[in-house]
Amino acid sequence: MKCLVTGGNVKVLGKAIHSLSRIGDEVYFQPLEDGLSLRSVNLSRSAYGCFLFAPLFFQFYEYTSCSDEDQDTNESFRCKVLMKSVLNVFRSLSSLEKTVEKCRISLNPKTSRLVIQLLCKYGVVKTHNLSFQECESLQAVFSKDVCPNVLRAPARVLVDAVVHFPVTLSEVTLAPSCGGRVIFRNYLEEETDPSKMMLTEMTLNEDEFLHFQISKESEITFCLKEFRGLLSFAESSSLPVSIHFDIAGRPVVFSLEDPVLEVHFVLATLSEQEVSGSQKLARGSCTKDDTRLPPSEAAADDFLSDDIDSYMIAMETTTVEEATANGCQPPHSPTFPLKGSGRAEGSSSILLKPGGRRKDLSMLSNNKPGSESEEEEEEPGEVPGTPPNKKFRSLFFGSVLSQRDALHHTGLSEEVLAEASDVEEES
Amino acid sequence: MRFRAKIVDVSCLSHFSRIVNTISRLAKTCTLRLADDKLYFILSDKVANGGVSMWCELQQGNFFDEFQMEGVSAEHNDIYLEFMPENLSRALKTAQNAKTVKIKLTKKHCPCLTLAVELPSLSASSRIVTHDIPVAVIPRKLWSDFREPSVPDFDVSVYLPALKTMKSVVERMKNLSNYVIIEANRNGEMNLKIETDLVSVTTHFKELGSPPWVFDDATQSSSQDRDPETMAEARVDIRKLQQFLAGQQVNPTKAICNIVSKRIVHFLLLHEDVSLQYFIPALA
Amino acid sequence: MPFSTQSETGDDQYILVANLDNVRNLSNILKAIHFKDHATCFATKNGIKMTVENAKCMQANAFIQAGIFQEYTIKEDSVVFRINLTVLLDCLTMFGTSALPASSTALRMCYMGYGHPVTLFLEEGGVVTVCKIHTQEPEETLDFDFCSTNVINKIILQSEGLREAFAELDMTSEVLQITMSPDKPYFRLSTFGDAGSAHLDYPKDSDLMEAFHCSQTQTNRYKLSLLKPSTKALALSCKVSIRTDNRGFLSLQYMIRNEDGQICFVEYYCCPDENIDETEL
Repeated sequence: MKCLVTGGNVKVLGKAIHSLSRIGDEVYFQPLEDGLSLRSVNLSRSAYGCFLFAPLFFQFYEYTSCSDEDQDTNESFRCKVLMKSVLNVFRSLSSLEKTVEKCRISLNPKTSRLVIQLLCKYGVVKTHNLSFQECESLQAVFSKDVCPNVLRAPARVLVDAVVHFPVTLSEVTLAPSCGGRVIFRNYLEEETDPSKMMLTEMTLNEDEFLHFQISKESEITFCLKEFRGLLSFAESSSLPVSIHFDIAGRPVVFSLEDPVLEVHFVLATLSEQEVSGSQKLARGSCTKDDTRLPPSEAAADDFLSDDIDSYMIAMETTTVEEATANGCQPPHSPTFPLKGSGRAEGSSSILLKPGGRRKDLSMLSNNKPGSESEEEEEEPGEVPGTPPNKKFRSLFFGSVLSQRDALHHTGLSEEVLAEASDVEEES
Repeated sequence: MRFRAKIVDVSCLSHFSRIVNTISRLAKTCTLRLADDKLYFILSDKVANGGVSMWCELQQGNFFDEFQMEGVSAEHNDIYLEFMPENLSRALKTAQNAKTVKIKLTKKHCPCLTLAVELPSLSASSRIVTHDIPVAVIPRKLWSDFREPSVPDFDVSVYLPALKTMKSVVERMKNLSNYVIIEANRNGEMNLKIETDLVSVTTHFKELGSPPWVFDDATQSSSQDRDPETMAEARVDIRKLQQFLAGQQVNPTKAICNIVSKRIVHFLLLHEDVSLQYFIPALA
Repeated sequence: MPFSTQSETGDDQYILVANLDNVRNLSNILKAIHFKDHATCFATKNGIKMTVENAKCMQANAFIQAGIFQEYTIKEDSVVFRINLTVLLDCLTMFGTSALPASSTALRMCYMGYGHPVTLFLEEGGVVTVCKIHTQEPEETLDFDFCSTNVINKIILQSEGLREAFAELDMTSEVLQITMSPDKPYFRLSTFGDAGSAHLDYPKDSDLMEAFHCSQTQTNRYKLSLLKPSTKALALSCKVSIRTDNRGFLSLQYMIRNEDGQICFVEYYCCPDENIDETEL
């Protein structure tokens, strides 16, 4: 792959990297026929961001699919690079604007380098040869069309809404009402004494939105830091932000669109059970080293009964580290009143067919969250001794491979329950 | 107990915000006393504060368009609340172009000071932001802890030099030493001194006037008979002094420093509608 | 003269007296070499030189020539002492660092000789601060023996073009590799960090290039951590000259214009780093 970005688009590219840096530690470069895709996912797989730059964004865009003998299919080259390495290239947005005239990116599998060259004023050339790792396709599958609730607002309005919340706030709750108002509220974290925290609520009116469609009243709670990452990009590009969402627990999709650029941020939301009505219940914070949570009862039921295609977000990539981490680390769950709900997560759950019984769920998961949940069942509502470190359910279940296979995962598996490539980013 | 107030004027709002900002830099937690005509921000000299105390008094009429309060009882028509001024400061920060700001004492999950800010929006209706700031009601039996401090029987009283200069000097001195000696005499001279193994620094301020204190009765202040050249001095924790100076956002109309030799330093800053007193104990 | 009210009787004890109407003309230059606490001060009739060293292979010097001072009196051929530069800078900036045109802080620096502290008198708007800073036994400073006859490659660049790039160098790289050549890439700064390698190329015909005299291709590596502090000097300067000699020793000379438009120099010397494994380019 080779491409050339010129003029103001260099800064746009830089801003996209800054934006993705709020999500994960790695940038996935995926050149496609319809453009260059930059993606990132966080460690707990509860946030995913994707920027798709159409060929017209570039002064020059050359995409060649190469066939790799190791793989049976003709695949475009993909790689992932450390976020901080790429961020270093585009670190100062103001200097990008002032001094960089062109940016040339080329992916060369033979030298194993992603080369980013900045051609600057005065003939100065900055060349960065970044090492990368080959990787699987990072692809979130989601369908915005089936979301019952859709809001669209100018970025400025949303920025004005979140400015009232402290920079350190982890999660925010978005609560639109059928009556035509949209409320943003700060979400209290686990172990926070509610009599010590200031609660802030910001109300926007329906008429501030370009589009307001609430078919199913719900409140969703998601990570503010990641949302802010998207907002800062939206604000600088003056694009309106679309928000597609469903009930609590289902992911929320933020998107921006422009003739040459498509941006999607998919964030997990706390499920109904986890939020439990008032904000006063303590929750773990959305940190990068969170382990997976068992889904709540409601979600488990949904999972079992709904059409999986329509809502599940599937992830096709796994790395050895992640798989081992999932397998070995017993996750901690926060205070769930887990009356009689079985839970299982991770790859094991995908192996189940819809309609499986609760007992099956718990039996299948040995080292998995399920075993934790059995203890929990005995003591509903018990606060675990160790601080829970994750509350967002992973958006992305492991691949269809069994745990054993996951450890040796090499090729891209096509066997996901929700279609991968075709259903990508329906708009 | 009830309290509700409203600010509509933008300059009153920014002035009030600046005061709250200053308070938030001087105290992590402090007491808010609401009276019929005034608001007070009080920090009493507990060991936890390093013996520092603060008394800030505002005329409510100069800030609020509406102000209604009902204290614990008719004879004790005050409300004492403990809170974190940082919360109030933060809530006011994003309210700077508000149409109105309402403050109320409410009971949510705990007693709160609720701020409701009405902001302009792109549409016909305003945007509303509410902040619930948790407070603790201080029972009447503890009110005696928060009495107004009396002006100490000082040895010397002088007008302070330009706060900006003092701030800059004390900030640098803080890098060099943990303690600073503040001394002044009746001739209008004030020195700030530090001394360590590596360096000694003295800053000399001159021609500072003496505030015209009126001594009410026969008891002459000890300062009257004093030799004008003799310095009254106090050695204080430099961070406390730096914190006090760094918190000042507006130049006061009058700024006075009273020193009780080896005991306490008392700062008194007077603005048009607010007064701030700050006491720093002297160290051995 | 701001210190006219000061008693002059003590003055004959001082072996060095230097007066400046604007203390920032001294403090700003010293900040450009402030990466260690201690500095050695050398004063001669030509002016003052402050030296800071690191790791026995790197040295920075700041020159404030006698003409910069409004008054400069020295009673001996050379006066040498060691002083805590951090403390000195805190004292010189006592009245703040912002360059307000209206306010200017005046400085009178005095030294009585061996065993005595350096005394600083700073005055702004009638307020006087007196600082007495203890001095120490001077230590030997390195002599890089860098002379123009051994210079192989030399370029002079406008600092503007190098400033940001230098500040953004990949600090995960142990070395900074400098290539100077009559052929492409002409002048190249390279780092080899965790992310991979990065190269910064300046062509010889760039508008930023004020002078380009490279006779031989030379590639030398220096410890990046030792050279990174020079970013401060670069930020203050308008031009920088980069020279390497036949041993691969590096000389960076920064031309700094002070607030009154006078020129001062700061220079950095660095030995090449021998102990690095060949890293990929």
